[in-house]
Amino acid sequence: MAGSTLVNDGQRHSVAELEDLAFELRSKLLYLCGTYEGAVHIGGDLSVADILTALYHYELNVDPKNIANPGRDRFILSKGHAAVCMYIAMAMRGFFEFDDIVNTYGQLDSAFGMHPCKVQLAGVEASTGSLGHGLPIGVGMAKSARQRNESHRVFVLMGDGETGEGSVWEGAMAARSSELGNLVAIIDRNRQLMTSHAEERVALEPYPDKWAAFGWNVVMVDGHDMASLVTALDGLPPASSNRPTVLICETIKGKGVDFMERNLAWHAGSLGQEDLAKAMASLESTRASKGSK
Amino acid sequence: MPVTFTFGEWFSARTIIGQTLADLGDEYPNLWTVTPDIGMTLVEFREKFPDRFIDVGLAEQAAVGVAAGLAYEGNIPVVSGMLPFLSMRTVEQIRSDVCYPNLPVKIIGTHGGLVGNGGSTHYAVEDLSLMCSLTNMTVTSIGDPLMVGDILRQSMKMAGPIYIRLGVGKSDQAIYEPGTHDIKIGKGIVAREGSDVTLFAHGTTVAQALEAADALEKDGHSVRVIDMFTLKPIDADLIEKCAKETGGRFVVVEDHLAYGGLASRIADVIVDRGINLTAFKRLGIPQVFAGFGNDEELRDKHGYGLSATIDAVKAVIGAKA
Repeated sequence: MAGSTLVNDGQRHSVAELEDLAFELRSKLLYLCGTYEGAVHIGGDLSVADILTALYHYELNVDPKNIANPGRDRFILSKGHAAVCMYIAMAMRGFFEFDDIVNTYGQLDSAFGMHPCKVQLAGVEASTGSLGHGLPIGVGMAKSARQRNESHRVFVLMGDGETGEGSVWEGAMAARSSELGNLVAIIDRNRQLMTSHAEERVALEPYPDKWAAFGWNVVMVDGHDMASLVTALDGLPPASSNRPTVLICETIKGKGVDFMERNLAWHAGSLGQEDLAKAMASLESTRASKGSK
Repeated sequence: MPVTFTFGEWFSARTIIGQTLADLGDEYPNLWTVTPDIGMTLVEFREKFPDRFIDVGLAEQAAVGVAAGLAYEGNIPVVSGMLPFLSMRTVEQIRSDVCYPNLPVKIIGTHGGLVGNGGSTHYAVEDLSLMCSLTNMTVTSIGDPLMVGDILRQSMKMAGPIYIRLGVGKSDQAIYEPGTHDIKIGKGIVAREGSDVTLFAHGTTVAQALEAADALEKDGHSVRVIDMFTLKPIDADLIEKCAKETGGRFVVVEDHLAYGGLASRIADVIVDRGINLTAFKRLGIPQVFAGFGNDEELRDKHGYGLSATIDAVKAVIGAKA
């Protein structure tokens, strides 16, 4: 991106390549969900799989060989329960091996746990897990970048349910007040909380208007359409601009696996061998039907 | 610019904080200040370093989250505000955003204890208990207005977070003649020597403890006063030494809930180390919502004022070994 001191060399994949990578990411997610004996937040992982693919394989200027490069873009997974999806995306980007995750996930002394910890896993930008914390942290990082005349961006990925936390809106106000055009919030608008569907218990609509009312530049995105994601990322205002941007990505919880999609039972879970085969078959057929469109 | 002072003179701790931060801002180009609309202390810093000052408005959670973000980037943020809100509304941000990654964020504020007559919404009386329970957190409570500058300065070298508690901080008497006491985070201060009993205090009750000791001296009692301004990590060796040297007689007086603050931390050391005591008495805020009144009236009403302190010390001195 403009003015960045770290160039995303050779990692800016085409839409077709990104779609393949997203498929690979989902396959690996399901594999982990089948091998790990405990529950994985598979629903919310699948809803951000395309977003994380677009970030790690197209947008983010990061350097797995020099993870502390000051010119890197910062990415905060505010919905920390999607850590597995981020770990796999990072592994595919070269931060570590996929096997490192599979062999140790959730085990004693593993760097890979249910929610990401910066101290335990290098390359993670912020320790998260409790919802509503990422945006204020992102504001601090973006302010620091501004003060040092650094041109990278700070991205914060949140769930839509997460934005029920008041601290998100405290952060939204602070970002607007500080004119942080280098801050990008990404909303996984999957329209599901853990125990209810959109608007059943919590009225989030008119959702884009809420962000607009807080002074943010609001962009609507199809969060499962790679071309739409790439267009939105390409269209980000310069980091030097003075309004923060929110990409509201319309998504489906459980996306890609028919029996998980929009199913409250699959907020988190684990897959037996039979279910894993069914899930993989569903993923394959989703891909096939997309290819034939 | 250096602060000039005289022992016994009255100072505004807030002014000292403001001046110290403005000085430290030159020395540390990565020092930031963050406040939720309690920025008067920071005027000098703000004017000198406008690009390193953030007022997020009435948004304490954002204040601490933003500070964490700054610290992740290698900055040293000082969050300044009123402690009843900074210690409770943000306790999860302090724990998960600051303590978990062990970031060098400093939380400093006023209204620790029954001070300022704001009523129970505006008294921080549970704060030390909450902060002491947090992993990686260093917890201090300062009574001497001049000392707060030393503590801020020392804290600049710390890798992790620190909590610095003050009373109202507008006008307090200097307690220590500069250069006469070894003031170090983690070490209790022997504010007054004595051999019959040790009277422990922190923050706003240190001056009261010294006054009580003076009054008791007239009756022939030798009272040692310890300013245990660092509650965590607690100076356990000093506690053990005092037990040996003052006949195992301890009184603790603090402007915090009587259970959960300094007295509890001292009691933990006594139990853990198997220290033999002759008598132990704690004075502090009982488990009530304290109501209105000036600071002194509230302390008297709730049983930890000057006369109650004198009575407690007498009782402990009189206890049979």
